[in-house]
Amino acid sequence: MITVALSKGRLFDDFVSYLEKYELYKYSKVLKDESRALYTIVDDIRFIFAKGPDVPVYVERGVADIGIVGSDIIEEEVFSYLNVSELPFGKCHFALAGPPDVEHFNTVASKYTNIARKYFNSQQQPVSLIHLNGSVELAPILGLADGIVDIVQTGNTLRDNGLIEYEKILDVQARLIANKQTFYTKEDSIYEFLSEIGVIE
Amino acid sequence: MTNNNFILERLALGQKYLGLLDDSGYTLVDMNMIEPFSIDDKYHHPTSVVFERNNTMYAIRSDWTRTLLNFNSNFYSNDTRFGYFGPVVRENESFYQAGVEIYQATENDIIDALLMHMNFVEECAETNIKTLVINNDQLLDLFIKKYDLPDTVRQLIYTKNISELRQHLGKDHDLYKIMSAKVSDQFKMVGEVFGDTEIMQAIAHLKEKIADNNTKFILDLSFRSPQNYYNGLYFQAFLNSNTPILSGGEYNSNSFGIALNLADGGLL
Repeated sequence: MITVALSKGRLFDDFVSYLEKYELYKYSKVLKDESRALYTIVDDIRFIFAKGPDVPVYVERGVADIGIVGSDIIEEEVFSYLNVSELPFGKCHFALAGPPDVEHFNTVASKYTNIARKYFNSQQQPVSLIHLNGSVELAPILGLADGIVDIVQTGNTLRDNGLIEYEKILDVQARLIANKQTFYTKEDSIYEFLSEIGVIE
Repeated sequence: MTNNNFILERLALGQKYLGLLDDSGYTLVDMNMIEPFSIDDKYHHPTSVVFERNNTMYAIRSDWTRTLLNFNSNFYSNDTRFGYFGPVVRENESFYQAGVEIYQATENDIIDALLMHMNFVEECAETNIKTLVINNDQLLDLFIKKYDLPDTVRQLIYTKNISELRQHLGKDHDLYKIMSAKVSDQFKMVGEVFGDTEIMQAIAHLKEKIADNNTKFILDLSFRSPQNYYNGLYFQAFLNSNTPILSGGEYNSNSFGIALNLADGGLL
């Protein structure tokens, strides 16, 4: 048996749609029905449902053999695993955003301060970064920061809060990651699953 | 730790292992855990706990390989095969390590030492080692040179980033085909490109020697050693656990070490 860690939320829905596109209904049907469970088993595969940032932890520690996770999480934290493949869903991007007419960003709030730091360093632009755990759009509205670095999908959240996008920083999409050791010890089952979901031909 | 059985079993296993090394002609070494330390060593031993006393830098032993190198340079020993069993400290954790270091190691020395360790583990575990994973960084150098690839390919190989490799190399490139194939097929596929090199011949000899052990043999260009001082062949062997029971490799051009995992490798 192999264990696949899935990120809950939007990425989970996208993964289920992806499975349906590949006509892998045996997985998609069960996953849809079990969205409130902690895990479910289909044939020889155990799917566990985790918060996105926890997926790499499960994979790194070998609790899960494979993980489906957004590249935003991979870029933000340093983990040790195999970064096997991009997946054709979960596409969005990181952006620098703020109220209209900001001439210079001195203080920026973000949940992803490592990505933000890397970006501003590459621009040779010194800024003060504030780490927030969510609702970062509040920061410029309340005067805590000049702008934010955050994930943008449709842009609706920015618009709803009177913010505009200044710079696209980094593309984000779903990735498949794998544990370094079980890739060897459970090779046959892992390759079968990778082939089944179209990651390898 | 209050598990009497576990503590006794670990010590018994350590004693049995040291007995094997003694019978096999290894010099057994026990050393002070506090060692002189040069800050230049921090690159190769990033997890060492380092401190200063009276203007001298010291470290708590984090790796017996370094300890043995110190021993040899301080005592000018003519011996070339050493064995050890004792605690090491990495970051904030201590654990027991046992193993051997062989200096001026020939290909046969390496194969013999590895076989001896595999047989010891299999006898203790009463089961065979399931998987042996091996790599030599010089193989990737050969690919990069032969196909005139940019250095950025290394990171894609190290992380087994199949999708980006396909974008960079194309699906018909030999290296992409190798990396997207099952890892247990890599030995044959790499052999088709570099089978006549010394590196692949040494790996082929090893594969041949362990053929009777009923162990799955994997050569994987993505396999990375946790010890960054290895600069030749390196390996990990697995029992039923996802952490290796044996690991080791070549360093300093003709030295070779093997460590036996006495914590979570599946023997205890």
